[in-house]
Amino acid sequence: MLILSALNWGAFLLYVCATLAAGHYLYTKDLRASRAMLALLGIGLFLHLGATAARVAIFWSFEENRFFLPVSSFHGALSYMSLALAAAFFVIEGRARLGILGALILPWAAASLGAAVLFARPDMAPLAPKLRSYWLNIHPMLLMTAYAAFANAFGVAVALLIQERQIKSRKPTELCYRLPPLDELDALNARIIAAAFPVLAAGLLMGSMWSLSAHGHFWVAGGKECLSLTTAAIYAAFLWMRYGAGRRGRMTVYVSLMGFAFVLLTFFGAELLSGRHSYMAGGK
Amino acid sequence: MKLLSLSWTHKASAAPAREALAAVPVEKVLSVLRERGCEEAAAVSTCNRFELYAAGRPDAVRSADWFLDILSELASFPVASEAEIREDIDAVLHLFSVSSGLDSLVVGETEILGQTKTGYEAAKALGMTDKRLNVLFQRALYVGKKVRSETAVASGASSVPSVAVQLAESIFGCLGGKSALILGAGAMAELAAKHLAARGVGRLTVANRTWERAYALAARCHGEAVPWADFPAQLAEADVVIASTGAPQAVVTREMVVAASRKRFGRSIFFIDIAMPRDIEESVHQLDGVYLYRLEDFEAIVAKNMAGRAESVAAARAIIESKAAEFDRWAKSLSLEKELSLRHSDLRAR
Repeated sequence: MLILSALNWGAFLLYVCATLAAGHYLYTKDLRASRAMLALLGIGLFLHLGATAARVAIFWSFEENRFFLPVSSFHGALSYMSLALAAAFFVIEGRARLGILGALILPWAAASLGAAVLFARPDMAPLAPKLRSYWLNIHPMLLMTAYAAFANAFGVAVALLIQERQIKSRKPTELCYRLPPLDELDALNARIIAAAFPVLAAGLLMGSMWSLSAHGHFWVAGGKECLSLTTAAIYAAFLWMRYGAGRRGRMTVYVSLMGFAFVLLTFFGAELLSGRHSYMAGGK
Repeated sequence: MKLLSLSWTHKASAAPAREALAAVPVEKVLSVLRERGCEEAAAVSTCNRFELYAAGRPDAVRSADWFLDILSELASFPVASEAEIREDIDAVLHLFSVSSGLDSLVVGETEILGQTKTGYEAAKALGMTDKRLNVLFQRALYVGKKVRSETAVASGASSVPSVAVQLAESIFGCLGGKSALILGAGAMAELAAKHLAARGVGRLTVANRTWERAYALAARCHGEAVPWADFPAQLAEADVVIASTGAPQAVVTREMVVAASRKRFGRSIFFIDIAMPRDIEESVHQLDGVYLYRLEDFEAIVAKNMAGRAESVAAARAIIESKAAEFDRWAKSLSLEKELSLRHSDLRAR
């Protein structure tokens, strides 16, 4: 338990440091800061993986929890999302040398893990009987993977809007030359969403299947259910605008930003609206 | 160790002396010097400067007059009166300033670094460099790079075309595969077309009221000419549009751009208006995905960049002075028992 807490705190602090290094890089173009960011993030990821392994081990020490992943609690969900986000960024940064976007993406990883460490406790109790289903390993995992990708897309979209404003102003600052080109950001935003959307859709469908197999209802009109369907609809609208109608530019970016606002609303806001998905209640 | 430098630069000498020296190949200068008994020398020759560095044991380096006589003879021009003569640490400081671009017409320009390297390599190939000049020039190249990466003397584009290209790249990324439309076929249009072609623009189209001139310009820069009446349709295809016609009023109107933008599905379009009076209606800049820059916008950016470079000169000088002092300590240590070791980071005893 102590080890778990130390690993979690270590990863959280490293993510915060990586975020600060990324911010420093954005404003000073000091390549050393970019390298430091990558190193800090790498070690942070390592610790975070260790913490996750420790958490799973403790969780599985309850016989009835064996082989179910600890993602049904607020802590588990936030921690997994942070891990997915940081890992996705680590891969994107490594391949597309877009370290500059770290300042916009890493805060989400740090905040997400920070919320998990500070405000939620790892669930170290047997799972509620109705959650003991292999669906638990599928439905939330898929959705949270999609959310992590959407958070990446959000960072890209913010960079896109900043770059657009820079060029429109006719007085571009250094920032303009440091950010990736407009077209590249636009393509990246669309590509991340196009990749994450099927994951989101599959995750929602799996939720329906779980509901069908557990309760015999394919659809329950709860707060979280409705919000997540809206999220999916907004991202579908974005993809249709971008690929179906071939539209680009600010309007499509605003739609993608709205999609992310609904992701946040679904994840955090639905606490109050939906009994079935409540993390605070331990998923009961 | 003794070091002597002779320089003719755009700052201190008149053009005829520099031109006469530039006409003599560096290899010839060095080989004549060697024939007459000079063992260690290197020269940097560019259109703006001629620099000669000679080094050796204190008693082995000839006097400045000896070098000036030979150079005057080679250049067939009395160059002696125009020369700036420096010795030891002053010469080191000067070479480091040169390689850092502080002595250049455009502060911080990077070409001089390559030219310094070329000069050094030529001397090395002729066997005219020994330990002293080898270390001196390698330090000069190192300091030139260090100054550029650690200060802002080389940051920001320094000319209108390079700012325009930089902005186009901030919009589109790589310009390969993008298409450009040139309106007008005058000297400015041609200059713009050549810059774009040099950046690997995929497709270049020229439209001009006089078809023959459009055709001739297109042929010169491997582009394609279209009749003037067709250019509004071409707007839908073009990513970069450069306008420099002599028309008395705007030739690209907001309506044309709105129509083109619709056909482009909001893909960005970059307008560059270098005509006076203007060729492109100012209001197109308000359209989503349309960016209109005029000549004065680029000039303002260049002025800002150059002001930024000028502000960093003091910081650059500080690096140069500390590195020159470091080199000087090393040079002095050569005649002592204990030779110091020059590392890229600091100075330590071996």
